[in-house]
This record gives sequence, structure tokens and C-alpha cells, in this order.
Amino acid sequence: MSRRQGPAARPARRPAARPVLRLGEAVSLPIDRRALTVGMLVVVAILLAGFLTLTLGSLGIAPAQLLPALFSDPGGTEGFVLSRLRGPRLTVAIATGAALGVSGALFQTVTRNPLGSPDVIGLGVGASAGAATVGLLYPGVLPVPAGALIGAAVAIVLVWLGTGRGFSSPARFIIVGIGVSAMGSAYTQFVIARAGREQALVLSAYLNGTLASRGWDDAVLIWGALAALVPIALLLGRRLHLIEMGDEMADALGARSGRTRIASIAVAVCLSAAAVSVAGPIAFVALTAPQIAKRLGRSPGTGILLSALTGALILVAADLLVQQSLMGVQLPVGILTAVVGGVYLGYLLIRESRKGTL
Amino acid sequence: MALVLLLLAVLLSLAVGNKAIPLEGVWLALTDPAGSYTDTVVASRIPRTILGVLAGAALAVSGVVMQGLTRNPLGDPGLLGVNVGAAAAIVTAVAFFGVGSAATSVWIALPGAFAAVVVVYALGTGPRGASPVRLVLAGAVVSAVIAAYIQAIALSRPDVFDSYRYWVIGSLAGRDPGTAGEVAPFIVVGLLVSIAIAPALNTLALGDDTATALGANTARTRILGAVATTLLCAASTAAVGPIGFVGLAVPHIVRGITGADHRWLIAYSAVLGPVLLLVADVVGRVLLSPQELMVGVVTAFIGAPILLIAVRRMRGSA
Repeated sequence: MSRRQGPAARPARRPAARPVLRLGEAVSLPIDRRALTVGMLVVVAILLAGFLTLTLGSLGIAPAQLLPALFSDPGGTEGFVLSRLRGPRLTVAIATGAALGVSGALFQTVTRNPLGSPDVIGLGVGASAGAATVGLLYPGVLPVPAGALIGAAVAIVLVWLGTGRGFSSPARFIIVGIGVSAMGSAYTQFVIARAGREQALVLSAYLNGTLASRGWDDAVLIWGALAALVPIALLLGRRLHLIEMGDEMADALGARSGRTRIASIAVAVCLSAAAVSVAGPIAFVALTAPQIAKRLGRSPGTGILLSALTGALILVAADLLVQQSLMGVQLPVGILTAVVGGVYLGYLLIRESRKGTL
Repeated sequence: MALVLLLLAVLLSLAVGNKAIPLEGVWLALTDPAGSYTDTVVASRIPRTILGVLAGAALAVSGVVMQGLTRNPLGDPGLLGVNVGAAAAIVTAVAFFGVGSAATSVWIALPGAFAAVVVVYALGTGPRGASPVRLVLAGAVVSAVIAAYIQAIALSRPDVFDSYRYWVIGSLAGRDPGTAGEVAPFIVVGLLVSIAIAPALNTLALGDDTATALGANTARTRILGAVATTLLCAASTAAVGPIGFVGLAVPHIVRGITGADHRWLIAYSAVLGPVLLLVADVVGRVLLSPQELMVGVVTAFIGAPILLIAVRRMRGSA
């Protein structure tokens, strides 16, 4: 994860409560000390989970040999585990979790509601339907990520049209999203039945989301998407803070609420589509990561970088649990996140009702 | 009119499939069976057609009762997670206790469906009562969690669940011929209770306070309504798996024909629910011929747009 600090961070020009990172005129990120500490801790936790992922289990690499194995190709079983099995899987898990976290943070800020997340409103399912169409029905016409992007775009347009009021009414937005999700997953089922292939892994990837047997090309795709889109998300972050205060206020402060909102949604849709095209619709990471990040960082608004880190941690930890579970078979990681994230969503629902925001 | 549609749907369901049979052939096979090949084909389609009629009526009527009880246009046993609750109970019983027959699975499905109703209402009721949006969201949450649980069990015990693969998504095909007979008593009782409380539902539609002032026993209506929906959902799920959106779509269509009187709503829904389910099943058979698409997939695709329309029609805060 790119955490720009140290030499790049120059002191703020005027006395401020917190140091500010500036890159020319375009970028100025206030650095929150608490967020920084928490971010570091999350990074350490990701490294720990990654370490466990590589070392545990019957094919695990002995902890003492891990460091040498990382820097020189060890060959043999260890080399195979590292370069074919768990290495790419871990790399993809980190980036996919981060992409989902950022996508969720953007969406929740735009809709001003923790429930307005890509998973609740059918974005992941839409992307999955698109990916399944391109991957199974018409293989070779378009690359799968392009299919996922089209699917996600169709889903978001359907939701937007379905509400009839744009994105301003969270309640409608969510219900329409549930409807669009139902249609999307029904369509995916149709495609799978039509394709009629007995590749259980591929199919469960399109339905539940899994990280099993990911390769380096997946890693390149998802890291590339992160590298291209996270900087844009960060640039949008400050304006989004203003939008959280309300459209009129934001417009008065020059944040151009309409344009910022559309740009944020576009970035979030692209990130979701990228995540889905490597791992399928992994449920509820995009919902929970920004919420946990918000509580950890105790910052107003949604920290995009911290959401990315939290998302990565959630997915790596969930995938670790799935890989080392004692159930005999490896379940798709999306099933685990659906259960845990669903319970969390239930909790959010109760809390939002106490506050009366829904 | 509605009955004619039902007859047509039943005939279609008997006629269409991998081996298509002209309608007069179906009629002949039914009225004057001569033991020919056609007769065998039609006979093989009779069990799933009967199942479709029973389950369609059960789902549609339970939708009417739910919508009436909660004064919520978005009530649907699939949407509110009741069907998956029932399915989860059955899946658990099959995986861990080796339960097989449909009649026992109805008894197992009952507590599952009831638990799902309780959880969804507990989650969906805020300080200002249960709003449609909150209920649907609570239903979506509960469904997501339970569906993941079902998937987890089904994937980790593939040997047990090979025959349930289509049932988990909702399908009329591949059930024992005796299934319909085993679930029918539950559905009939559920339908009778629903018809009995229809006038009370009309009173309830005026609002709790007005209904109480008019002398209606709202608590009793709610309990009976909950019993009826639980029975209907549990029985239909045990028979055909968790099928969504029939209970949402049919009452909405029927309301356009009959108006808001629950007595007519229930009568028409009991007839048109099977029509929708059978037609969806026929579509599923034709679409991917020679394979079949699960009927639950087709109803979701037909029903979800109706959800969008229903939401757009809702006024006020939602």
C-alpha cells in the first residue's frame, strides 16, 4: 500500500493542528496522527495474516525458510506453493479487499448512508452477471473485466432509473438495489445453466466469490486497477468530505456536488468491476470495511486509504480462515464474508433505526 | 376468466417440454388414456404440475396475507426471508439427521420459517413501527446470511445434496410423486385460515387504531395471519424450494383487477399464483431446451421489475 509520508511530507504552510501532506497544488492530504497509527497497525495485521497464509497447513512453508524463499526462487514444493498456489492468491486477496474497501467508502459517502454500499445495491451481482455473460456465453468477444464493467454499469443505471429520484433517497435506492440484485443473480444462474459446464470452481466464483486458484495475471489486473483508480479516489476524497455536509453547502464551497458525485460513482463502479472480475461478487466487504475504518480512525467522514487497508485485512483474514477451515472442503470465501458481513449489516440496521436515519 | 387462465396454464405445463405434445393430445391423454407414449409423457408431467398449482397458490396467498398484516406493499415470503428460513431448517435436517420425506420436512420447515419471521420483524421494527423499507432490508440481510449458510452446507456435503441441487434454488422438477400429497394438507389449512381472516385484514387495512375502535381483535388477526403465512411458506418450500417474488407479484397484479378487498385478493391470488408459477416453469423448460432452468430463477427475473414498480408507486418517505 502506498503510504506517502516521511520525506515527501512537508510541514503545513500555516500553523495547523495536524501535519498536511502536499504534492504541488493539487494534492493536500491532512495527516491524522491517529489514522496514521491505526493504518500502521492494520498494515502489520495484514502482514501477519499474510505470513500465516503462507506458512500454515500441510503445504505451508516453514517460517524460517519464508524470508529466503521470498527473495530467491527456492524451487521444489516451496517454490510451487509460493509462485503458483498461495503467493498469487494472497496478492490478489490484498488488492481485491482494498478495491472493495475504497469502492464501499466512495459509495457510502455519496449516498450518505452506510447501507448504500455496492453489495447492497447490486453492483457486485451486476458485475458478476456481466462477467459470466462474457466468460461463459460468448467467450472471446470481450475480455472478462470489460464484461464485468458493463454489467456493473448496467446495474447502477437500472438502480438509478428504478428509484426515479436519483441517489437522493437512500431507502428507495436500497430496495431497488435488492430488486436489481435478485435479477442479476437470477440472470447469472441462467447463464450458468445455459453454459452447462461442470467447472464447479468457475461457477462458484461467479455466484459466491472465491479466491481459489487465482494466477498472477489476476494479480496484475487488480493491482493495475488499484494503481490507476485509488489516486483519483484520493483526489475526490476532499470534495466528498464537503458533500457530506450537504449539497448546498458543498456547492457554495466550490465542490461541485453533482460532478464529484458522478466521478466518485464511476471510480467506485470501476473498482467493483475489477474486484469482481478477479474474484467474483464477494459479499459485504465493501459494506463493512469503511464502517470499521471509520470507527478505528475516529475521523469524520470516510478515510479512503484506511478503508482500503481494512478491506485488505478483512479479505486476507477471511481467506485464511477458509483455507485452514476444518470442514473438509474449501468453501468460497464469499460465503464466509456473507455470513459475517450479513450479521454486521443486521447490527447496522438496528443502530440506524435507533438514530432514525432510515 | 382467471379459472380459464389457470386451466390454460395447467394444459401448457402438461404439453410443453422436451417432447412437446399438442394441446388436443394432452386432452386426449387425460380424458381417454390408451397407454400410448404420449400418455406416459403427460402422466410424467402431472406431478410437477400439481406441485406448481399448490405451491403457486400457497406463495401468492401468503404474499397477500403478509402485505395485509404489515400494511406493506412489499411483503413477499421470498423477499422477507421466510422461504430461506424454512429451507435452512430442511437443509440442516437433511445434512445432519438424514431426513428424507416431504411430510417430515414440512414439520421441520415450520420452525425455520417461523424463526425467520420473528428475526426479520425484530430487525425490521424501528421505534416508529415497521416500515416497508426496513422490513425488506431486514429480509435481505437475513436471506443473505441464511443463503450463505445453505450454500456452505450444500457445498461441503455434495454427496447428500446432489438430489437437492435444484431444490435449493427453487424448482418443480425432480421431486417424488408423493410430495404433492404430503404437503397438500398443510397448504389447504393455510389457505382456509387465510380466507377466514380476510374480513379482519380488511378492517386492519384502516390502521390499528381504527380497527381496534371498530371492535376488531387485531392481536388475534396478527397471530392467525402469522400462522397462515408460516404454514403456507413452510409447505411450499418443503415442496419446491425457496421461490421468491410470486408472493409479491401476484397480489400486485390482482389488486389492479379486484381492488383492495382482501376476500377477492385471496381468491384471485390463489388462482393466479399457480398461473404465474406454471408459466414460469414452462418458460424455464423452453428457454434452455433440452436442459431446464429452475423456476425460482425465472420468477426472480419476472418478479424483480414488479418490485421496482411497487417502490416507484410508494409515496412519502420511502
